[in-house]
Amino acid sequence: MNRKYLIWAICLIFFLSPLFLNAYWVDVLNNIGIYAILALSLNFILGDTGLFHMGHAAFFAVGAYTTAILNTMYHIPILFLIPFSGITAAIFAYLVARPIIHLRGDYLLIVTIGIVEIVRIALVNNIFGLTGGSNGIFGISRPHLFGLIIRRPTHFFYYIWIFLAVSVFLFHRLRNSRFGRALNYIKEDEVAAEGTGVDIAKYKLIAFVLGAFWAGMVGNIYASKMTIISPESFTFWESVIYFCIVILGGSGSITGVILGSFLLIGLPELFREFAQARMLVFGLAMIIMMIFRPQGILPPPPRKYNVDQIN
Amino acid sequence: MELFFQQLTNGLAIGGIYALIALGYTMVYGVLKLINFAHGDLFTLGAYIGFTLLTSMNLIGKIGPLPTLFLFGIIIMGLVGIAGIVLERIAYRPLRSADRLAAVVSALGASIVISNSIMLIYGARFLVYPHHILPNFTINLLGMKIPFMRIAMLLLSIILMIILYLFVQKTRIGTAIRATAIDHGAARLMGIDVNKIISVVFFIGPALGGAAGFMVGLYYGQLNFMMGWMYGLKAFIAAVIGGIGNIPGAMLGGLLLGVIEALGAAYISTSWKDAIAFFVLIIILIVRPTGILGERVADKI
Amino acid sequence: MVKKILLFTLCLSLFYIPMGFAKSKIKIGLMCPQTGSWASEGIDMKKIVNLLAEDINKKGGVLGRKIEIIDEDDGGDPRTAALAANKLCTRGIVAVIGTYGSSVTEATQNIFNENKIIQIANGSTAIRLTEKGYKYFFRTCPRDDEQGRVAAKTIKKFGFKRVAILHDNTTYAKGLAEEAKQNLEKMGGVKIVFFDALTPGERDYTTILTKLQSKKPDVVFFTGYYPEAGLLLKQKKEMGWNVPFIGGDATNNPDLVKIAGLDAAKGFYFLSPPVPQDLDTPQAKAFLKAYQAKYHALPGSVWAVLSGDALLAIVKAIDGSKSTDPDKMAYYLHYKLKDMPGLTGKISFNEKGDRVGDLYRVYKVDDKGNFVLQPKD
Repeated sequence: MNRKYLIWAICLIFFLSPLFLNAYWVDVLNNIGIYAILALSLNFILGDTGLFHMGHAAFFAVGAYTTAILNTMYHIPILFLIPFSGITAAIFAYLVARPIIHLRGDYLLIVTIGIVEIVRIALVNNIFGLTGGSNGIFGISRPHLFGLIIRRPTHFFYYIWIFLAVSVFLFHRLRNSRFGRALNYIKEDEVAAEGTGVDIAKYKLIAFVLGAFWAGMVGNIYASKMTIISPESFTFWESVIYFCIVILGGSGSITGVILGSFLLIGLPELFREFAQARMLVFGLAMIIMMIFRPQGILPPPPRKYNVDQIN
Repeated sequence: MELFFQQLTNGLAIGGIYALIALGYTMVYGVLKLINFAHGDLFTLGAYIGFTLLTSMNLIGKIGPLPTLFLFGIIIMGLVGIAGIVLERIAYRPLRSADRLAAVVSALGASIVISNSIMLIYGARFLVYPHHILPNFTINLLGMKIPFMRIAMLLLSIILMIILYLFVQKTRIGTAIRATAIDHGAARLMGIDVNKIISVVFFIGPALGGAAGFMVGLYYGQLNFMMGWMYGLKAFIAAVIGGIGNIPGAMLGGLLLGVIEALGAAYISTSWKDAIAFFVLIIILIVRPTGILGERVADKI
Repeated sequence: MVKKILLFTLCLSLFYIPMGFAKSKIKIGLMCPQTGSWASEGIDMKKIVNLLAEDINKKGGVLGRKIEIIDEDDGGDPRTAALAANKLCTRGIVAVIGTYGSSVTEATQNIFNENKIIQIANGSTAIRLTEKGYKYFFRTCPRDDEQGRVAAKTIKKFGFKRVAILHDNTTYAKGLAEEAKQNLEKMGGVKIVFFDALTPGERDYTTILTKLQSKKPDVVFFTGYYPEAGLLLKQKKEMGWNVPFIGGDATNNPDLVKIAGLDAAKGFYFLSPPVPQDLDTPQAKAFLKAYQAKYHALPGSVWAVLSGDALLAIVKAIDGSKSTDPDKMAYYLHYKLKDMPGLTGKISFNEKGDRVGDLYRVYKVDDKGNFVLQPKD
């Protein structure tokens, strides 16, 4: 019971934190929040389904560019574009994942790296004359919510973290649904899952598409937060960061992934004092954390089923 | 047509380097099933050690350029190989029984550490190898002008690869490496010291990468602490195209990738060059899910 | 437990609340890439700005107060830069210098503008940065359209008929390449036989050179950066191809000759604002002497030097407007600052915040590897 109060207290303090943090730290928290949602959507593919996916920035990019193009060309309000960005990313994910979904482990990994690089190169080369090349797209408007323009770091803090809270809730429900259990089965033993009648290709594809849908929506948030997007923000290295967040936090664990984003996005900011050496310290921290917690910082607890409630 | 062959030779020279680095990936993968993302940075390390040796010791005046380069090459391979062993001890061995992806994250961390250490030691500016060490003349071959050094480089890569291939196929240690790659447990039961074999692999792979770094430094002359990332990624693709874990596959994949890039740039578009390379990779994997020479692994039931 | 956590968070937040209440020093921010691909530029910027700041402080500072440089790493990436900008805004700075890349600068523009902090960029040449009407934004570097015009004029003047334009798909290089192409097409009489990009960061460019050669251009205009330019020159020489190369101001770095080798680099033309070495103003000479005494080398690219000019302009604005009020400083920079002697020549800004004047000169690499300023006609 005590533990429950503690968690609520932490949440409360956290939600009040913009009141006593300065703009910089609020913005750090915003970045952590964005990465946490992205990592959660990747976690669904990588952690829950066990697909080695290192190209998540591609879906993020598709979402962000959809928002940017439609907003700057047709002036559609940002908030209306949220589902639309998600759907575009999901369609894109379906098209690219369809032929490669049968690839195993590391082969899937390299193909997803290939996808994220192809997307980046396409953006740089101003594909269809829409993406603005390496300049990117600027002048994306801010979200308007009931007459309030979301633009200050504090506004974004609530915007992002409420979105994160909703994502946590939905991903938690999904994970414990029949569908989520099937994905988990695929992760633990693909052959056995197939043997018991799980259509693995279909389930994997759905996992991919759902993860991409969510990443596309985060793309919308990111685009309206930055107001300018350019291909540099969607490199292979970005995907590597999401990947590391999931594995380091504890693959398959929602709390672990959120904690992982605090570490991987927060730490480099704490290390700013080291100036040039900060990335070195960051790399060392990654190795050390992995050695001491190979299963991740907060691995998911084993699934428990109440015997009385089965059937 | 002349242009085609000219571009083909350009691609082969680039591909030779990719192949040499890809061997390191493929050997490590074969034995540990680990994608060693720090491999590209060990390549960078080789290039920088070469720079230090060339600028600090004036051996060329005393024993002539060729013996000097040979000697330096051996020293670099030794040092980078030792760095590889140390890397395995620190960053990978504690994770051997853990989930495979944990080691991947550790490898990414190691990559950041190595490249940033190089930046802190040598500075972020581009470094340049001393000029005029290598003979610089072109050979006329069937109407094409090919710089001699490009041919020499390709030959040297192929020689190193053949030595490695013979080593793995014909010697006792090579047999032990192959046995370990198939099954750690069974190899241990046959009396093979698996830890030692893994150390050997982590010596040879990075040593070849270091040699490639030295060659790139000597020929292209220009170093930067980030150079390993791009080469490493390309070499990784090369290893996968050929079938990761397979030594002839890495050679084939490297040369093929070099040629695809060159021809893609020549006949389609230079700015889409890397995208073309990735596209071909994806097509190859869709058609042959384990690479060109990769073996179909039976599912464990 | 709850109390402990509360206390901890409070401590943490207190620790980071700006401690800039004591009004002894004037704080000036410097945002530059100290990690990532552009680290060498950022580190050079830091050296130059700190050197000049020391010098200003030795002479008594400005308005009787010393200045303090607060630097933050932007990593050469828009997201990190936005964080760095937010951090700088909390440190009580009156103005900020930087940064290098255009899209990186763009991600920080509205943050500084909303916080009413003067920003003087040093390497961001994209045209649109000053077209947004930001009141507090300036830059010491010229714009792409300016250089594109000069490049087209130079190519025309040399009498080249078949021109190949090669860029590297970065914001800067592509912008310049497109500007040059438009200007050349407008002038007429010149045929553009090649327009494409290489992939920066590679070592082997023979593929693209072979392709270029097959188009038989009279001249190649390369708008990218010096590492690639050096390799292109070197490999072109090796192929035995003798086409003249012209570069943009991103090739103005002493390392170019080191990378290409003397033989290959000589005869290379490039466009650039004048560097301190070519100016005989006392400021430039004193700066060069101090820099060499401290770091035993020549300053790197011209853009790092332009960050020094940004500092000089800021200090001058504080001094001239007798305040650190951003509106007064911005007014001074826009309308009062005229022909201030800087490290790269005279500095004035127009109402948009762009630097005024035709800065670009043509340079040629001579037989000894020196960059020689070509006479202006």
